[in-house]
Amino acid sequence: MSDKLKFPLNGILQERKLKDAQMRATINQKLVETGERERLKELLRARLIECGWRDELKAYCKEIVQQKGLEHITVDDLVSEMTPRGRSLVPDEVKKELLQRIRTFLAQQSNM
Amino acid sequence: MSSTGCQHLQAYKAAGGKETFRIIYSYFVACSSADARHKKAQICKCVLCGDYRPRLHACLSCIYFGCYDKKHIHQHSEETKHHLAIDVSYGIIYCFVCGDYVYDSELEELARAQCHRASASLGLKQKFFPWEPSEEELILLRCNPKRRRVTEASHIGLRGLINLGNTCFMNCILQSLAHTPILRDYFMADQHACQATDESQQCLVCEMARLYQEFYSGSRTPYIPYRLLHLVWTNARHLAGYEQQDAHEFLIAALDVLHRHCKEMNGISDSNPHHCNCIIDRIFTGGLQSDVTCKRCNNVSTTIDPIWDISLDLGPGSIHSSHLLPSATAAQTASANNTGANNGSNSSTANSSTGPSSLPFASADITTHSPSTSFTNSPGNYEPTSLVECLKRFTKTEHLGNSAKIKCSKCHSYQESTKQLTMKKLPIVACFHLKRFEHSTGYHKKISTFVSFPEELDMTPFMSSARCSNGFNGQVLRSRIPNFTCDNKYSLFAVVNHFGTIESGHYTCYIRSLKEQWYRCEDHLIKRATAGEVLNSEGYLLFYHKQVLEYD
Repeated sequence: MSDKLKFPLNGILQERKLKDAQMRATINQKLVETGERERLKELLRARLIECGWRDELKAYCKEIVQQKGLEHITVDDLVSEMTPRGRSLVPDEVKKELLQRIRTFLAQQSNM
Repeated sequence: MSSTGCQHLQAYKAAGGKETFRIIYSYFVACSSADARHKKAQICKCVLCGDYRPRLHACLSCIYFGCYDKKHIHQHSEETKHHLAIDVSYGIIYCFVCGDYVYDSELEELARAQCHRASASLGLKQKFFPWEPSEEELILLRCNPKRRRVTEASHIGLRGLINLGNTCFMNCILQSLAHTPILRDYFMADQHACQATDESQQCLVCEMARLYQEFYSGSRTPYIPYRLLHLVWTNARHLAGYEQQDAHEFLIAALDVLHRHCKEMNGISDSNPHHCNCIIDRIFTGGLQSDVTCKRCNNVSTTIDPIWDISLDLGPGSIHSSHLLPSATAAQTASANNTGANNGSNSSTANSSTGPSSLPFASADITTHSPSTSFTNSPGNYEPTSLVECLKRFTKTEHLGNSAKIKCSKCHSYQESTKQLTMKKLPIVACFHLKRFEHSTGYHKKISTFVSFPEELDMTPFMSSARCSNGFNGQVLRSRIPNFTCDNKYSLFAVVNHFGTIESGHYTCYIRSLKEQWYRCEDHLIKRATAGEVLNSEGYLLFYHKQVLEYD
């Protein structure tokens, strides 16, 4: 018996994963091509500034740099320290608004 | 870290890399054309794994795309000895020999110009770049090495003002203006370039600039604003003399004179008074939309008028005709008869003569919807007890009754109509004037009702965009507006209080200096105060500052 039949679920999942990845890539292409990605970035930037996310992360960033010393720190160190915190601090409302915007955008794209 | 990059980047630049950098930047980092965006969408993904997510880098030598997280770009660098790559999302350059990002001011300048073009091509707002001192400013900074640190205990910017004989009405307004964050920044950044150098003694804007210098000089003795008072007297004759005056009237007069002097002294032509770009207009001018709906044909005629403040009625609604927003009517008259730009002085006249004396406006232009006594939609004996309630009443649809029929521009007949006021454009600083002084038929009195006001105010419900399409319904829709943004949020930063009666009394004010730090200013005395004290006071003028400013 082949693996495929033994674990049919695995196969389906694999397939779905692939499809999702393709879909994501297509959406990304559309967003870049139309300039919508830049607009979304602008919106996100504004929202993150408004809610204090930027200030908070900046302060945290300074803290890390001071702790480790300017001479011994690289961008990579900062990225690995900041990314988890940065992600977790994005307010749900901001995520929701962005998701909504992306949905609206996709709904307008008839050829997808 | 230097601003000339590393030796590898210098070598790259010397070999003509600048142009390559510019092309890569304009196609894959900040696209300024549809063609570039199309290319970016097609090509921008890791050659090895196809990933397009953050930290994708492009080789500066051969435009090979590789992701950083999975070290695919590192692999490329090792194989080809191409040492430099650019982060496609942020446009920063990584040097694989140095093992870190490197910065070069010349390339950054190129990048900035490219970003500029990219935002313009999409009609986006220009990106914000933090201030960097120019050569000239660097010299100034080096010549003045002393820095003052602002801490919680510092009293920076606080200074008492001597009372020059019943001038507390002026002192409290000066304190409020002196602590208006954005106005302070304007003056402290020395942005007023007075054109009338030999007449600068006559320029109120210059005098304000001096006031800020005095406030921030660190001197602890009270300041004597005699020159300022004299300038106001010579420019706003109705305030001259040692009598008690209305602080609101002074505010409007001061803004008017400042606005006029900004224009005159800067030699800006008067050709288009509706489009004034002076600092006063940029900060204080909002747009008030008035929608008049004909009851017969439902035709809506909309006018938008510039306003410097919002005057809000207190007392019960239906008793006095005065409560039909004479200041708004005055603003309309101003824009109809006059130039919209000097509406301030007009609305001040209206405020000092509310009630029956606002009748002249009734006979004005037909497009001016005159106040009337048969206001049927008034909320009866309802007395607003909070700023938000006042604003709700302000933006509520009014039925202009039988005696105030207006000729409808569509059905060309005199009809009853409804009118609603909403905010079309919000000013950066919103001044609310609670009309505590009532001059109406036969009697003058002060309304001392407590009106609560919040430290943070959201103006979204009072915007024209929130206006209910069905004008008869009357209520501005509140629930449907998603509360995602804080675009319309304001914070309180100054409150002017009046003690006493309508004939005589005393003005003091509360101002917010540093974040969350309140002070009570009474002429030459300044005392710490708590936010609770401020919010429980009997406010007369309330100053709110927009929380988030947009760059334009």
